[in-house]
Amino acid sequence: MKQTLLTLLLVFGAAMAFAQTRTIKGKILDAGSGEPLIGATILAKGTSAGTISDVDGNYSLSLPSGANTLVVSFTGYATLEVAVGASNVVDITMATDQVSLSEVVVVGYGTQIKSTLTGNIAKLDGDKLKDLPIVSMEQGIQGKTAGVFVESVNGKPGGAVRVRIRGAASITASNQPLYIVDGIPISVDAQNSSGASLNPLADLNPNDIESVEILKDASAGAIYGSRAANGVVLITTKTGRSGKTYIEANFQTGTSQPTGKREFLDRDEYTQLFLRSAEGAARYEYALDPDAWGGNEQDAIDWYTEYVKGRLNRYSGPDVTDYTTTNTNTNWQDQLFADKPVSTQASLSASGGNERTKYYAAAAWNRQEGVLKGNNFERMSARLNLDQQATERINFGVNMSLARTFTDQVSDDNAFSTPMQLVALSPLTPMRDEDGVLYDRPTTTYYNGLIDMEEANRDVTTFRSLANGYARWKLMDGLLLNGELGTDVWTLRDNAFYGSRTDAGNASNGFGSSVYAQTVNLTPKAFLNYDKSFGVHNLGLTLGTEYQHSRTDRTIVEGGEFPVDDLKTLASAANITLGSSTITEFSFLSYFARANYDFDRKYLLSASARIDGSSRFGSNSRYGFFPSISAGWVLSEEDFLVDNSLISFLKLRASYGKTGNAAIGNFRHLGLYDAAAYGGQSGLSPSQIPNPDLEWEKTAQTDFGIDFGMFNNRLSGEIDYYIKNTTDLLLDVPVPSTSGFRTQTQNVGEVENKGWEFVLNSNNLVGDFKWNTSFNIAINKNNVVSLSEGQDLIDDGNTNVVKVGESIGAFYGAEYAGVDPANGDAIWYKNGEGTGRETTNDYAEAEFVVIGNPNPDFIGGITNSFSWKGLSLDIMFQGVYGNEIYKDGDRFMACQGCWFDNQTTDQLDHWNQPGDVVSVPEPRFWYQNGDQTRNSRYIADGSYLRLKTLTIGYELPKSVLERLGISRTRLYVIGQNLLTFTKYDGWDPEVSSDAFTNNIVSGVDFYSAPQPKVIAFGISVGF
Amino acid sequence: MKNKILLLAAFMTVLSFTACDDKLDLLPHQSLDESVALNSDANVKTVLNGAYDAFSDDNFLGADVLRNAELQGGDGEVIWVGTFVGPREIFNKTMTASNFDAQEMWVNGYNTVNITNNVLSSLAVVNEEDRGAVEGEAKFLRAYAYFELVRTFALPYESGGNNSQLGVPIVLEPTREISDKQNVPRKSVEEGYQQIIADLTSAEGLLPDENEWRASKGAAAGLLARVYLQMGDYANARDAADRVIVLGVNSLMGNYADLFNRDDNSSEDIFAVQVSNQDGTNSMNTYFSIPDFGGRDGDIEILPDHLALYDPADTRLALFFDASGATRSGKWNNQFGNIGLMRLAEMYLIRAECNARLGTATGASALDDYNTVHTRAGLPAANSVSVDDILLERRRELAHEGFKIHDLKRLKLDAGPYAYNAPELVFPIPLREMEANPMLEQNQGY
Repeated sequence: MKQTLLTLLLVFGAAMAFAQTRTIKGKILDAGSGEPLIGATILAKGTSAGTISDVDGNYSLSLPSGANTLVVSFTGYATLEVAVGASNVVDITMATDQVSLSEVVVVGYGTQIKSTLTGNIAKLDGDKLKDLPIVSMEQGIQGKTAGVFVESVNGKPGGAVRVRIRGAASITASNQPLYIVDGIPISVDAQNSSGASLNPLADLNPNDIESVEILKDASAGAIYGSRAANGVVLITTKTGRSGKTYIEANFQTGTSQPTGKREFLDRDEYTQLFLRSAEGAARYEYALDPDAWGGNEQDAIDWYTEYVKGRLNRYSGPDVTDYTTTNTNTNWQDQLFADKPVSTQASLSASGGNERTKYYAAAAWNRQEGVLKGNNFERMSARLNLDQQATERINFGVNMSLARTFTDQVSDDNAFSTPMQLVALSPLTPMRDEDGVLYDRPTTTYYNGLIDMEEANRDVTTFRSLANGYARWKLMDGLLLNGELGTDVWTLRDNAFYGSRTDAGNASNGFGSSVYAQTVNLTPKAFLNYDKSFGVHNLGLTLGTEYQHSRTDRTIVEGGEFPVDDLKTLASAANITLGSSTITEFSFLSYFARANYDFDRKYLLSASARIDGSSRFGSNSRYGFFPSISAGWVLSEEDFLVDNSLISFLKLRASYGKTGNAAIGNFRHLGLYDAAAYGGQSGLSPSQIPNPDLEWEKTAQTDFGIDFGMFNNRLSGEIDYYIKNTTDLLLDVPVPSTSGFRTQTQNVGEVENKGWEFVLNSNNLVGDFKWNTSFNIAINKNNVVSLSEGQDLIDDGNTNVVKVGESIGAFYGAEYAGVDPANGDAIWYKNGEGTGRETTNDYAEAEFVVIGNPNPDFIGGITNSFSWKGLSLDIMFQGVYGNEIYKDGDRFMACQGCWFDNQTTDQLDHWNQPGDVVSVPEPRFWYQNGDQTRNSRYIADGSYLRLKTLTIGYELPKSVLERLGISRTRLYVIGQNLLTFTKYDGWDPEVSSDAFTNNIVSGVDFYSAPQPKVIAFGISVGF
Repeated sequence: MKNKILLLAAFMTVLSFTACDDKLDLLPHQSLDESVALNSDANVKTVLNGAYDAFSDDNFLGADVLRNAELQGGDGEVIWVGTFVGPREIFNKTMTASNFDAQEMWVNGYNTVNITNNVLSSLAVVNEEDRGAVEGEAKFLRAYAYFELVRTFALPYESGGNNSQLGVPIVLEPTREISDKQNVPRKSVEEGYQQIIADLTSAEGLLPDENEWRASKGAAAGLLARVYLQMGDYANARDAADRVIVLGVNSLMGNYADLFNRDDNSSEDIFAVQVSNQDGTNSMNTYFSIPDFGGRDGDIEILPDHLALYDPADTRLALFFDASGATRSGKWNNQFGNIGLMRLAEMYLIRAECNARLGTATGASALDDYNTVHTRAGLPAANSVSVDDILLERRRELAHEGFKIHDLKRLKLDAGPYAYNAPELVFPIPLREMEANPMLEQNQGY
């Protein structure tokens, strides 16, 4: 086996050159227990030579000439620098340390020592993302970094994940952070057309990630200029280290189930409710216009009852003339969830090299079956990161990955065909006829989505290659010239076919659609790094330029009239109904600079700036300037604290800077006409009103922070306070549509985000039995300060609006006052001037007010890690508090029988007779009674606390392993979303419909798939 | 020295990127800059096609506007059973200012108006021989849009009144930039109708007799007849309808069923929205039809009270069909079929009604015109005819083609429990519009 793997490595091109001058050997030991430490990293300082300690804690390192210091690091231990004397044997004892203050963090266009940072950068080690049953890396960040809100909008694998760093600042432009993978700003705009938008970051294997650095404040972000306002996520993939080859194989498999289910009516409850609803409607309608019924109320009741019974018969089956003669009692909810869906991931990686060549190579396969039937995700990926020291002064290399993802998509939440909408069907309705054929309308109330599962497919395949080639040239001592070319080539194929019985295909004997999209993103850059110490003066300079060009080509063909359902490609379509190709592109040209200075690691000063030009901006304002300045003071280095036994580290820092947001669509500043065909002839019509002054959004951010360590850094933490003021919002300002236009993109309005972040890490117990706690909590207050002149509200007719003085996306509507006990009417607070808490049964009379906020007041997470000998237990809780959810789907499934959708069981507690004090109004089939669209009745508390992950691991003892020639074996069980504590009575409180969610609309639950509750077993073996 | 050369090399690398400045001047591939869109004869005509396209949007005459008229006035004869809230509110007469369908009708109506204004402002570059037709078509579309807007978003036109009640904003200039000038107030209903009549009168004079599927002289005169009828100006309505019939371009189809679900215009169609599988949406199909024919879920069902209007031998009755547990209109079963907006039978019925009301016989007697339509449906000719007979014939002949609420309003009949001029029967000025334009005044009850 080992032989084979070694051969494999040769294929990867690892050259085996030996040119060492001196070999240092030794043992790495834990200071507390004296046990050997396995996997500690030993680097020769100032060089790229390094190795890892083996199963006995032994290491052997070829020390290049000139190097005389070893840097030893290991997760959970303080990094040490050890001078090498005359001896060739250097044993090293390491002490545990939760925060490594000498830790190196990745910053824009360089790296920096954490203790000298003046900005706010949250770092997450790759091992925190490893082996999680997730699809994309953002899901692994959730709850682990302060101030970073992460939400999988829905439980569909590969679906969109919303990330908000320090709150949402933009109403029209994107609020997603800028993602940089190994220096490449990657494309994150979804290209699939079937179903809801998929997550482009799913193309990246989380297990390949070495570290994630999240740049939160302006000091850290400003070097990314016009795209840094939402924060920047720097993803660095794993690199090889010279020394012994380390091979690791991982396998994990598990099963999942939905985190929640809802209770729906059975057949008896269903018929009972709808007959009552018929009566309610009849009485209501009769009271409106008795003359229409000839003054006879019973006539109205009879008519409605007959109408409802007619429907109940119809839903009971095609030949049923009396529904009471059947006993069908279908639980449609049980039909939509997959039966024990399996998730499996397997990977093989190798890293190593010599002091000239280093590599990390990995191949991985990940398949996740979703909780919904027919909804699966699969990824195959490979990565090779290679670095070659060509001469003493020049090294070059490439970080490249190839990934293929495949998604069995389902419709987005707002489609009859989406599995979740099966719950609307009547329990009276049987699933299949005698021949096993699924029933459809008119037997089913709506289209039977199970037909889609059998006869439709939406196959989304992506191929993505991320490659960054670089060369570094050491021009002189401390001065490094970097040249890089980043490419992100992303191809997507979305083939959908809907058979002749599906709702999309039944009018045209099948319907097919094929999308081919390709985004090519090129980013050449060149920059100089200068790092030099002059006694106690340390200087770091960065100066560079970058150009980015991105182009997306997209082709779509649609057609119908297929001879048989077995022929699913468009070659068989007799009628091509759509063929189109489009191209869009954008470019950025940028210059950036940064200067860091510190005096004796005590007084820190940093300034950076970027000039960004973009094709997206108007001719009058093509270039923007984004400066930042920051300062820090390491008090613990001062004489009065240096020997303090309580405080081991204390730093104050402050930063201020300006960043921008350029993530609007392309060409928004131009006055445009678009093609508009009519009657078989081409046409042109105005599509956009120009704005030559259009520019980026500007965010000015101030941050004050304290970093501290106590009790020899056993307790450490960070506290930050920030104010982010975003002005000149890129706003699609509603204009009077009598102009022929709906909106004009303008720079107006202001949004403020301010908040606190707290991070606390503690080594509660050290020694044999270890217990570490990491805790973070963040409070963010989002406030719309102003919109365009005279504008108080952006209301697109959705439940979420933008209103001055409120959070972006505040829920807005009539305030539900419950049920009038006298007559069963839904009543509303008038909320008008002078009518305040007066109620009315006329929805139209109720003034709209803010009825909720989808943005949490605070978010947080806590991880407790326990270990004893080879056993480990990690418990991670994550939660959000203070947000509301709008239960949009409840307008149909919890409307006390307003139409024939099956209802949740709580609707049985409806008003029945005068005097009833209840919260569900009288059922009035077909008449709206409290189920109006924008309505606080369907607002619910969305707070939750969740046992996000629970991992129990066991490291096999080395005595067993040695005999097998294995250096390390870990067995583990991992659970995800095992427990959720919430008052929310929908499927799952982590929700934001994938059909509607945008900058303004969020926190809407509309037949959204619940998150998966996963239990998986895994094994990891290292050679 | 060596270091200096290296630094210079680095500097050159940096500088080389600055040459990319022109790479920021990217232009869209699917859109045309406005400066060239109206600069030639061909381009202006292409923009005119764009006006037809906007006009035919499914939220406007393609043809939610027709659906809305049938739902709002359809009490007892049709029922809306779909899940969409907007049409349900229209049917129940419980609209709110945020009603999506009201908003989209308004937005798409004024989009049509703006494109026609662009065309009308650029007539100078159009070849002289085509200029009249281009002008006439643009004015026809503008008038059609304003007519739908004013009779939907304002109280009814009161025959003989001064009609100072609020109508809709009248915009006659193209929008080139956004400023306070776009905050236009509502004009009166009277001013609205006068603008419509002026545009149509001019268009009738400019347009050719035949013009493919485009607006023709007959279409302008026919719309004028419809407008005058809505105003209760029977003499002008009669004369305009008469001019369409006399023009002789169109002829009645022999078989009623052949009028519908067509991919092309029939000889009877004076003006129809063109839909094909390449372009356009037939939203009447979406809502009136069933999935087998590309419709939604059979959102609109026809009730027995409507079917009772027909004689069993009436071929128009035979067009209804039962499916998905209810009776459906058979007029809208072609997903990619044209949407007839005006046909010759309507002109016969207008001329008959007006002649009967005025005691005249312009063109033909009321009885003859009535029988022309009546016998085509396979029924025996009548010997005498009253205004009520003609109105009943109109209900049968033009059923589910978008006439319902407008006929109730002009005849001062109730729609369900609501009087013809009840505020519940007037659409709200869309909330988004009220918020974008401080000069607008909302309708009563919203």
